[in-house]
Amino acid sequence: MCGIAGRILGAPGPVGRDLVALMAAQEHRGADSTGFAVYSTPRENGYIVRAMGFDRSRMGQDLNDFRAILRNNGADVIEEPSWDNSRSQHYLARMIVSDPVDMAAWVAEADEIAARLEMQSVGRSLEIIKDVGGANAVADKHGIREMTGTHGLGHARLATESDVRPNASHPFWARPFPDVAIVHNGQITDYYTWREKLERKGYRFLTWNDSELIAVWVSDRMKQGLSMEEALTRSIHEIDGVFTYMIATPSAIGFAKDRFAMKPLVLIDQNGAIAAGTEEQAVRRVYNDDGIDVINHDGPSLHGIWTVGNQRVAA
Amino acid sequence: MNRAPGRTMAETVIDVGERPIRAVHEDIQKAAKAGERMVLRNTLSRHNLGVGLPPGCELHAEGSVGYYCGGLNTGARITVERNAGWGCGEAMSAGHITVGGYAGMSVGAAMLGGLIHVRGDCGPRAGVAMKGGTIVVEGKLGYQSGFMAHGGKIIALGGAGPSCADALWQGEVWVCGDVEDLGVDAVITEPSAEQVAEVEAILDPLGLSDRSRAWRRIVAGERLWYFQSRDAKAWLMI
Repeated sequence: MCGIAGRILGAPGPVGRDLVALMAAQEHRGADSTGFAVYSTPRENGYIVRAMGFDRSRMGQDLNDFRAILRNNGADVIEEPSWDNSRSQHYLARMIVSDPVDMAAWVAEADEIAARLEMQSVGRSLEIIKDVGGANAVADKHGIREMTGTHGLGHARLATESDVRPNASHPFWARPFPDVAIVHNGQITDYYTWREKLERKGYRFLTWNDSELIAVWVSDRMKQGLSMEEALTRSIHEIDGVFTYMIATPSAIGFAKDRFAMKPLVLIDQNGAIAAGTEEQAVRRVYNDDGIDVINHDGPSLHGIWTVGNQRVAA
Repeated sequence: MNRAPGRTMAETVIDVGERPIRAVHEDIQKAAKAGERMVLRNTLSRHNLGVGLPPGCELHAEGSVGYYCGGLNTGARITVERNAGWGCGEAMSAGHITVGGYAGMSVGAAMLGGLIHVRGDCGPRAGVAMKGGTIVVEGKLGYQSGFMAHGGKIIALGGAGPSCADALWQGEVWVCGDVEDLGVDAVITEPSAEQVAEVEAILDPLGLSDRSRAWRRIVAGERLWYFQSRDAKAWLMI
């Protein structure tokens, strides 16, 4: 089932707080895990790295190994790692690194230790934080409500076809494309076909989650020269299954819905400020005013792009 | 829960807000037993409001409601001021639901009887697998409305979206205005004067009757039927 959300503020502000409200209202759609992708004002250089370590007792060694790989790729840590102080065996670390010589080559090398320390996001602006548990629990653990920015995504996961693990939660980073994240509600039925095709192109997948695949699928199309709108349209006709997904970049959030109209999406647009979600009751937690109309994107084969600061819907 | 004085029928105002839906239901059940008209305030598009209400109840929701409002209705009168989420009136067997605005996916899914009146448009698969009753939509029907309807009528005054009446069985879809395209095995027939009169008689009490309308009556082409008997009523007796 899963619940998804997108939020664009009119001006930089408490986007983390709003994303938590959107996801807390949709917790019943998937209590396995919750995640957030928060976009702040982009840095001019250097990347924010969010990574998940799987054995807290080895944290020091794993972070040192990660740093060594970074240096191999002509970069270094420019803001020392910080991490959550919970008692869970896994941990989420945050650091800022200088620009590697070749992003794809660095990510590929860093992925060789992904069984110990897995990068969740890399971006000038993007930070992905995800964990097992409901919206409020994850927000409390990782300080999501205090995160500020321009826009973001949220996800509540009901695991269906892959594991319940912290790193199998959404959102997914479109590895190795910086600053691209996705949330998805649905099932892709030609997952293995597309995975094989994308792996032949050199892409790596760290989970068996179909959402991770869509993020890379769309990003790859954009790398080939398609606009986001063209990539979204193609996904509706080329990917088989039932889905509604939202994909974010530093400047926009795009969405696409399958040909069978099986997964909902509702939206409130207040002069370019957007609250979107699987359920109307979620967007009402952000705009609690019945006088404000919701837009129901209930139909088949829909797509749209909401640009940060200037909303536009193409359907 | 506050009681509003000065009404012929006692009226109970129930605040929904972010209270646990079970607590809201307890208030609704209490008021229903007392025979009071219920007004839901601050509905926040919450799910499952007014589910399983018995005959004689009156419930009015100010604002919008979420999924399954009025589901399993057995005779209550329910009005929703604005929009309704997915599955409004699902599996209802009697009663009358009015949605003031838009009704989301699968309004009247598997309904057995009663009337759902949507003043705006409705989402995909209105009346999916419905077995009886009537859905009146003043606006446009969404994608694949009437999908696998076993009985009953869907009446739309503002046209229909793609794949209309897909895999219809014994139900009927009546449309004024454009039909974007028909679903599998759906065919448009010329209605008889008696059939039109029957539809107008449904619309009359809603103030929607207009004898000058041009109707498209959409029924099953029967190419998907797999019965030995062509008399589907025999199967309905099972």
